[in-house]
Amino acid sequence: MNDKTKLPRVAKGKKLNYLNDGSIDNLMAMIMTLTQEISVLRDRIDTLERILESKKIILDEEFNEFIPSDDLETKRKNRRHALLERVLLPIKKELE
Amino acid sequence: MQPKPNHDESVRQDFVTDLRAYLTDEIYTLITPHYEKKIEPEFLQSHDRKPKDKSEVKSLMLNDKGYQSWSLLQRLSQQMMFTSVIDTVERNLEAMIDNLDKHQEIGSLEIDDSLEIPRYLTAYDIHQQPGGYHSETIEKDISAGAVYDISLPIYSRNAMGEENDLLAQAIIHYIDKNIGTFQPKDILDMGCGIGNSTLPFSKKYPNSKVVGADVALPCLRYAHARANALGVEADFSQQNVEKTNYDSESFDLVTSTLLLHETSHDAVPKIIQECFRLLKPGGWMIHLDVYPFHKKEDDPLYDFLKDWEVINNNENFSGALRKMNMKKIIEDAGFATETVEFTSAEAAAKYSKGYTGDFYLKLPVYVAQKSIAS
Ligand SMILES: C[S@@+](CC[C@H](N)C(=O)[O-])C[C@H]1O[C@@H](n2cnc3c(N)ncnc32)[C@H](O)[C@@H]1O
Repeated sequence: MNDKTKLPRVAKGKKLNYLNDGSIDNLMAMIMTLTQEISVLRDRIDTLERILESKKIILDEEFNEFIPSDDLETKRKNRRHALLERVLLPIKKELE
Repeated sequence: MQPKPNHDESVRQDFVTDLRAYLTDEIYTLITPHYEKKIEPEFLQSHDRKPKDKSEVKSLMLNDKGYQSWSLLQRLSQQMMFTSVIDTVERNLEAMIDNLDKHQEIGSLEIDDSLEIPRYLTAYDIHQQPGGYHSETIEKDISAGAVYDISLPIYSRNAMGEENDLLAQAIIHYIDKNIGTFQPKDILDMGCGIGNSTLPFSKKYPNSKVVGADVALPCLRYAHARANALGVEADFSQQNVEKTNYDSESFDLVTSTLLLHETSHDAVPKIIQECFRLLKPGGWMIHLDVYPFHKKEDDPLYDFLKDWEVINNNENFSGALRKMNMKKIIEDAGFATETVEFTSAEAAAKYSKGYTGDFYLKLPVYVAQKSIAS
């Protein structure tokens, strides 16, 4: 994505296998990461809604009328890429 | 005409676009090196030779967790694409159907209730679109068309252009470059679906009469309404393009985009013969499809990987089409040998919605002319 330094995210060491042939382990890892990310999002939205509510500036339909700018689309795309990078790390490890 | 996703549907669809991009750019690219560094050497160790063909590669790959995981995710991403799009279509369906009457002014829609849908379209749902192109759940159903319209950008990483017309632009570019003086008056787009590759011809040749033919009624209804909403004239007709009801020699140009690989071994020669019958002397046939012609004969991994869609995405015929002798089929149909060509058509493509950068789309076309003397 960019040239910023990337730190390793995989610890060196013996590879352990818990369930089945290891694929299930991967699945579990992915699902838990996803769950974590959803929880982060949920809490963030919750905070956002509370602040907006206290300032009386949000209407429900505004959500659906909102059109993101090109910049925002790119930002979101990069954010999703980073999310996928984390969620799919087990699969990348399998192939690297 | 295209139903509008609400906030969550829209970002859910965006997620699928990005997931597919990620799987292609970041995961699929690891497979060949993984094979060369790990799978092939292990095989070499135990067999004293490399895997000899795609079926040997296949049995290795189907036991490889990394490949299988990518394959599973790729398949899931296609399913997620359709489910996330279907939500939007379903939510808007009744309103869209109620609105159909308002979109009938220009062009026409000809329906043939007695037409039988070919088995290759009903036996399984091609590329996993639930219900395929033809199924109807409600009276005057247009959902298959609407689903196709919204899915195509997701499938193509938002590169098909605002009106999903990139493929037809490639054909038009090909004509301008290679048959420059050609000004077709009567044009037929076979397997037109939602008309995304039909309307560009109406725009390019404003004095021509343009017809789109397809077997699938939900797509045609959507196509006609969509053409009206866009203000572009074309006639749509429910036909099996293996044998249409048009008079012989009634078209100057017959085209298709993404039709042939979704038909069958028997249908392809019939469609080519039908093109020959329908063309006026001097007329041209141009079929654009997805698969590259160049075959790396001695690369069993490549041979295996290019069949992914066949096995995992219900594109059952696409592998077999690659092996057909199209040159012979086209010549046997009567086309002038010296005009038969397999080449590529190009169009300038532009990503949108957060994806940046331009690129050249290059897709294979089968081209032939009916000789003036025939
Ligand atoms: C992949 S879609 C292509 C739609 C559009 N041309 C495009 O490029 O996006 C293939 C279309 O071919 C139609 N089709 C397949 N076999 C056909 C046949 N024998 N006669 C008419 N249409 C057919 C299907 O119903 C479907 O709409």
